[in-house]
Amino acid sequence: MTNGVQRLQTLETPKQGDPSTSSGYRFGLHKQIIMKPRWRKVFHDLIDNKARTLLVVFSIAVGVFSIGVIAGAYEIISNDMSASYAANIPANIELRMADFDEDVLTSIRNDQNIDLAEARRVFSIRVRVPGTQSWTTLDMVAFDDFEANTVNLLVPLEGESVPQKREIVLEQDALNHIQGVQVGQPLEFQLPDGSIKTMPVVGIVQDTATGAGDFLAAPYAYVTLNTLQYLGQADRFNRVYATTASGGDDIFHVREVGAALKDKLEKNGSIVIRTRFSMTHEHPLADTVNAILGILMALGILIVFLSSSLIANTLNALLNQHLRHIGVIKLVGGQRRQVFIMYLTLIMAFGVLALLVAVPLGGQGAYGLALFISSELNFNLLGYRLVPIAFAIQIAVGLLVPLVAGLAPVINGSRITVLRALSGDLAQDENQSSAGHDAESGIRIHWLDWMQIRFTRMLAKRGIHIPRPFVISLRNTFRRKGRLALTLFTLTMGGAIFIAVFNVRTTLHDYIGQIGKYFVADVSIDFDSPYRLREIEQKVLQVDGVERVEGWQFVSGELLDENGEVLENLNIFAPPAESKLIEPILTAGRWVLPDDERKFAVSEATLGYFPDLKPGDYLPIEVNGQKETWQVVGIFKFVDREGMLAYAPYEYVSRMNNLANQAYMFRLVTEQHNRPYQDEKAEELDAFLRTEGYNVHQSEAGSASLDTAVESLDTLVVFLLIMAILTAIVGSMGLTGTMGMNVLERTREIGITRAIGADDRAVMRTVIAEGVVIGMISFALAIILSIPFTYLLSTIVSLAVFETPIDVVFTYLGYAIWLGLVLALSAVASILPARNAARLTIREVLAYE
Amino acid sequence: MPTQNPSQSLIELRGVVKVYSTAAGEFNALRGINLQVGTHEFVGIVGKSGAGKSTLLNMITGVDEITSGEVIVNSNGGAVSIHDLDEDSIALWRGKNLGIVYQSFQLLPMLTLVENITLPMDLCGVFKPKESRERAMDLLRLVELEEHANKLPAFISGGQQQRVAIARALANDPPILVADEPTGSLDSITADHIFDVFEHLVTDQGKTIIMVTHDNSLAPRFSRHLTIADGEIVDEVVRAARAGAAPSWPGRGRAGTGERSAAQSKDSVLGLRTSSSAQREVTKRRRTK
Repeated sequence: MTNGVQRLQTLETPKQGDPSTSSGYRFGLHKQIIMKPRWRKVFHDLIDNKARTLLVVFSIAVGVFSIGVIAGAYEIISNDMSASYAANIPANIELRMADFDEDVLTSIRNDQNIDLAEARRVFSIRVRVPGTQSWTTLDMVAFDDFEANTVNLLVPLEGESVPQKREIVLEQDALNHIQGVQVGQPLEFQLPDGSIKTMPVVGIVQDTATGAGDFLAAPYAYVTLNTLQYLGQADRFNRVYATTASGGDDIFHVREVGAALKDKLEKNGSIVIRTRFSMTHEHPLADTVNAILGILMALGILIVFLSSSLIANTLNALLNQHLRHIGVIKLVGGQRRQVFIMYLTLIMAFGVLALLVAVPLGGQGAYGLALFISSELNFNLLGYRLVPIAFAIQIAVGLLVPLVAGLAPVINGSRITVLRALSGDLAQDENQSSAGHDAESGIRIHWLDWMQIRFTRMLAKRGIHIPRPFVISLRNTFRRKGRLALTLFTLTMGGAIFIAVFNVRTTLHDYIGQIGKYFVADVSIDFDSPYRLREIEQKVLQVDGVERVEGWQFVSGELLDENGEVLENLNIFAPPAESKLIEPILTAGRWVLPDDERKFAVSEATLGYFPDLKPGDYLPIEVNGQKETWQVVGIFKFVDREGMLAYAPYEYVSRMNNLANQAYMFRLVTEQHNRPYQDEKAEELDAFLRTEGYNVHQSEAGSASLDTAVESLDTLVVFLLIMAILTAIVGSMGLTGTMGMNVLERTREIGITRAIGADDRAVMRTVIAEGVVIGMISFALAIILSIPFTYLLSTIVSLAVFETPIDVVFTYLGYAIWLGLVLALSAVASILPARNAARLTIREVLAYE
Repeated sequence: MPTQNPSQSLIELRGVVKVYSTAAGEFNALRGINLQVGTHEFVGIVGKSGAGKSTLLNMITGVDEITSGEVIVNSNGGAVSIHDLDEDSIALWRGKNLGIVYQSFQLLPMLTLVENITLPMDLCGVFKPKESRERAMDLLRLVELEEHANKLPAFISGGQQQRVAIARALANDPPILVADEPTGSLDSITADHIFDVFEHLVTDQGKTIIMVTHDNSLAPRFSRHLTIADGEIVDEVVRAARAGAAPSWPGRGRAGTGERSAAQSKDSVLGLRTSSSAQREVTKRRRTK
């Protein structure tokens, strides 16, 4: 080696240790594969800054996961719900009739429009596990021949699916209601006369069709016809389940066939109490489930949207940090297109990594959600599978969202001139916009800074001095306006949804509370035969805690169209007109009066059939087999399930039913109105009345069915909350990312502040204050934005669940929790970057590039 | 070594003006610069901070936009008015015709030394990937850093990084090298040897080098040095160039051709010499303004 070379060698000392150590070397893939340096740079950009890669990948993955779960569940449910329902040959026509025999069934089977028909006997019965006290009401279904079951098929799950005489098979839902029940063990049944019978449970089945439209229905159990006598029931049918010969998915055709069948039966002397029509390939609750999934889908899309703003922010920062790299690339011959493709590839790589994480998780989540909904609504899934459309949506979201979010930063980055790139000045344009003019210094400055300077001077003149670090924090907050806007957008949306979900929850509960005014009674007692009002009053007042009692009538009918065809079942409740046990929410007209004859108040759902309906109009109905026209006196809000609801005065209906001063239903008021007390009194009254020889059908707390409804709503709210929490996570990730990027970009500045005397605490205070300022601004914006969100979400949910818009109620709870959360999140999101900033030595930060 | 028409300068600046708009108003960084640089010249541009040296360099490299005037470069058989090209064309042209070395090295930190050198070849598509790597290794050998080829820039010294930056500037074998304070962040001994590398590139590789520096003590080592102040060339000193490094633009004299072979024969493969032994001055000073 020559002198000159020797000199170069000896004078140059590597910074770090022995070159043979691995620390300074990169023996990577290029030893085996020659990767072009530009792709190697992309590869290292991806793997070198793991925290940043994780942030971007997680941001994309959250959106992909959410949309994957909901799209997958939506697809699985919309397919499997109907498929599972249709697989068990659901009846298109269900007729509830007065007792009938085999001949009537034969005539139904002979109808040319009917394909399959089965007759059963359905009745309520109370049941309990021997040795326990708590009774559960079951709907007992008696089959003539289980082997010949062709409609509303039963799917065997455990044990026997065909019970023998004096044996019982339970529907799986009954297991949730009767504590401790097991196959092979006996159950006790209480007959109307109070006597107890015992039968063994021989199997568990699933019945996806019977009662599918009513998730508040009692659980089912199955016996043979020859068991009926043992249970004190007549050996006759009272239900018909039939399928139409054709057009099972045409609800109008089904209604037509059903109406014709009903007419025919009634002409032949049978009494049809009510009808119910369903399509073969559409689950009766499909619309409700789809509406709820629709809401979740909307939230999922919003999460994708928010995560895209987070991605945009992070990619913006990434491009900002890479300005010098871009400058170097362009300096040595790189063209705009090459830079563009390099960073686009990097973004695609982020997307692919996110897909690798989110697609399998999303698939599992989708199936999990579908499984939960299917178990709640009692239908089966066709097994775990990848949903191609959800898969495609996830791929599209995973690749397109970062692409769209990153397009602007990448285009801007690739367009930057070498000079600006090397000087690291991307914010130049942003800061040059809308400059103000400082009179004292004569320098043009940004209007926000100008305002801040004016404001602090104004305060200072009044003797109020804002601490300098806080002024710096404020100024830092507004320094990167584009980034701040995206962060605020993400955090605000997250907060607004979070708050809105709490408001929706309160709104739903408030509405249920209002609906509760239709159930003011503490105990409801239904009898199997009518009793005189005075007699029951005398009896129940003997029970401690009972204060008063009202006898109510009930008549079921059908709402007809102008041609006399059945539109919907109609349940007319008839409390005394002056009853204090009902406080209706009237939207039009008035409540019923004692003198009203053939007049009733109808629920708002009637407007679905008669949109122009108003008080004073007449509606065609059929009651007690008679086609009549009743006048609407008022329209009220209510949750309609299993038919329309209407109220008429007891005074008229009792005469109409030939049951003057008598009733099947009694509503009682007790001393206390809480649920445990109601349950206790219901049990006590039940036992007392049965001992006294009354045919008690059911005695339960007045709010029992209402509470079940609340539970169902809470499930929905939990889903909404999960989505809200996801949005909050995305929001907080946005804030963390922003604070991290802000601090990173100001490393040199932090070094300078430390060099002129700022200690660790001062640096941390400045950074944390900045995070908290952002959090507080987002909170203020979230308060405003939560209002339209609450209205929107409440309307969608109430239309899906109650089929009517409901009054929105706001609660401070969501605001308070979000305030606490956003403050905590802001502080936490800033602490890590602040700690990192405080840890850097002055030399490190000043050397930072 | 590229051939050159002796009647034509390699780089010609005609009335180059650069005005910056700042918050405090307009600032004239360059005020109508006229300059010609011939092949094999080692031109130094000296001046105080803010004089306009780097701006002048940025006009030559096309990394900054010109306010008025023209920069024409005759290389690879054609004359190009670089500020008439669009940004992508300038980048590609620059990649092939100009090697740039900055004070702060501007190496990509995530790429190894050899990858940093391969990058311009990859971006400009001048060499095939395998050739690129071989050439990059040759260049590393030239700057005597072959054994560090697979290290990251952070793991070598500043002087070594600058040598890598020089090697990268040579990647596509450009006829012109432009260096902006290449020794500014180095200690004096290391700086001296980086300067040796540049001198070698002029004398042995036939490159034309324009170097900006604020260090007046380096002036004697240039074949010609220009002093710039307030955006104007205020002084120009031409020395009798070393053998093979004679300027070739019209009207420029050449001297000392006989010494080159003697000096070179004594030196290393890089032709590295101490600055004192290399210089034989014939000074021609003229006030340009």
